[in-house]
Amino acid sequence: MISAREAYRAELTELAAADPRIVCLEADLGGASHPFRDSIPDRFLNLGIAEASAVDIAVGLASAGLRPFVSTFATFATFRAAESVKLGLGYLGAPVVLVCPYGGVSGAWFGPTHHCLEDLAVVQSLPGLRIAVPAGEAETREVIRTAATGDRPCYVRLARNDVFDIPFTPAGRGEVSWLNPLGGDTCLVSIGEKPTELCAAATKQRPELGHAHLCWVDAESLAEVLPQLTGVRRLVVVEEHRAAGSVAATLALMLPLQEVRGVNAGTDWPSEGGSHDETLAALGLTVSAVLQAV
Amino acid sequence: MNETDLLHDQAAQARRLVVDMAASEVGCHLGGSLSVLDILVAAYAVARSRPGTEVVLSKGHAAAALYAVLHVNGVIAENPAPLYGRAGSPYTGHPSPKVPGVRFPTGSLGHGLAYAVGWALSRRLLGQPGGAIAVVGDGELQEGLVWEALQVAQAKRIGGLTVVVDCNGGQNDGYVADISPLTDLPARLAAFGFEVSEVDGHDIEKLMMAIVPGDQPKAVLATTVKGKGVPATEGKAASHYVKVSPARAKQWKAAIQS
Repeated sequence: MISAREAYRAELTELAAADPRIVCLEADLGGASHPFRDSIPDRFLNLGIAEASAVDIAVGLASAGLRPFVSTFATFATFRAAESVKLGLGYLGAPVVLVCPYGGVSGAWFGPTHHCLEDLAVVQSLPGLRIAVPAGEAETREVIRTAATGDRPCYVRLARNDVFDIPFTPAGRGEVSWLNPLGGDTCLVSIGEKPTELCAAATKQRPELGHAHLCWVDAESLAEVLPQLTGVRRLVVVEEHRAAGSVAATLALMLPLQEVRGVNAGTDWPSEGGSHDETLAALGLTVSAVLQAV
Repeated sequence: MNETDLLHDQAAQARRLVVDMAASEVGCHLGGSLSVLDILVAAYAVARSRPGTEVVLSKGHAAAALYAVLHVNGVIAENPAPLYGRAGSPYTGHPSPKVPGVRFPTGSLGHGLAYAVGWALSRRLLGQPGGAIAVVGDGELQEGLVWEALQVAQAKRIGGLTVVVDCNGGQNDGYVADISPLTDLPARLAAFGFEVSEVDGHDIEKLMMAIVPGDQPKAVLATTVKGKGVPATEGKAASHYVKVSPARAKQWKAAIQS
């Protein structure tokens, strides 16, 4: 089993062998060794530390019929290159795929310059983008395949290098992956790797809680999963993000007759060292916080 | 009429349309539209003869000139001037990709050059002919994104790319030389690996020769006059954005010579 970040590189390389439209763009954060560069050097470009240019150049390539994937850290894609994303992927709708590791606080001890607890708020505010937060190798591979074969601009949020090892069936677009069936009137909804781990731990203590995992979280994709969540009185959405622009906030607007609660990363800027788990704990994103919210 | 006369006639027609847009309810960026107009006429003439060549007006506030030149080239069938800035019309104050012939949304300065780099790169990756001609303003060169894109173009040896700088010396708040001067611009562009030339930005024939994309990226510094072609506005910083009465527009149009 490999990390989601490695899964992205491996899957894209495999897809590109059969699809000559695929181009892999990096902005100096792809690592010294990249399978795409080794296999298809002509369609691999490390554009250097130039994120806004990378997105605009990808828009130019997409407009010519190519299918560019751009990878840089979540905060650089959604803030440094925010206007490029707004205009190229949003307004123009160019089918560029942004694949962004270091989502949430997976950068942990690197500090807030390398955290991104606000990326989904940025991309969720741009109509037309598809947004995925896959957990683990299998779901990441499926997201990359879906993005490559579709014709829509996409934002894909990944974590850092950890391997996610909870077995589950990946949630495709418009699908819920049930990690624990609904036994009562409350359902945990997990977004991303760490929240899925937290919810899995919570349902071990409280087996009657449902655990629905979602991967595609743009408003359009969420609207397609709503029929599978009707009848649940209370949804507790667990996510590694601020409350503003969260999936919980989006679902609350879509489900005015259901109770939607959020367990999120709060309002602090975690500026101490520590592991990913320790940084999440400092933000109060823990199993006990999930159980308390229930 | 030979091609040279035809292009001069196109430029005069387009200038009159730009004045019509300045006489709209919303006015337009008149000075920069008239300064860049001959560059656009030359760029589209070059692009017509070289399939796969994309013209990107990065200084998107000169949308009035772009719409006018696309109309006189037959790309926009309807006359855009009476529709400029109006509800239900795609002719916004900065180029909309809904307008025929407009591929990229420009107006937020700096992006057009990077789009053009992407388009030029696509020719190489697809093995198709063509290239890109990016038209930027001299004030626009104050944007960091421009220099980032030039760096990438140099690093990745992007051929088939020409950057034309409309050196009209003005920007929104006054003169470029007062606000943020472009010290030793030819040397700076040459240092980025561009073949640099300097031409009269109102000499269509010389522009056409200079801007044909080649294997090496080119930078063409086109010296222009803000408000060019309308004597009442030529060289005046106040011509940056103009709303003019229909009666005065009529006088200005009568003064335009081909």
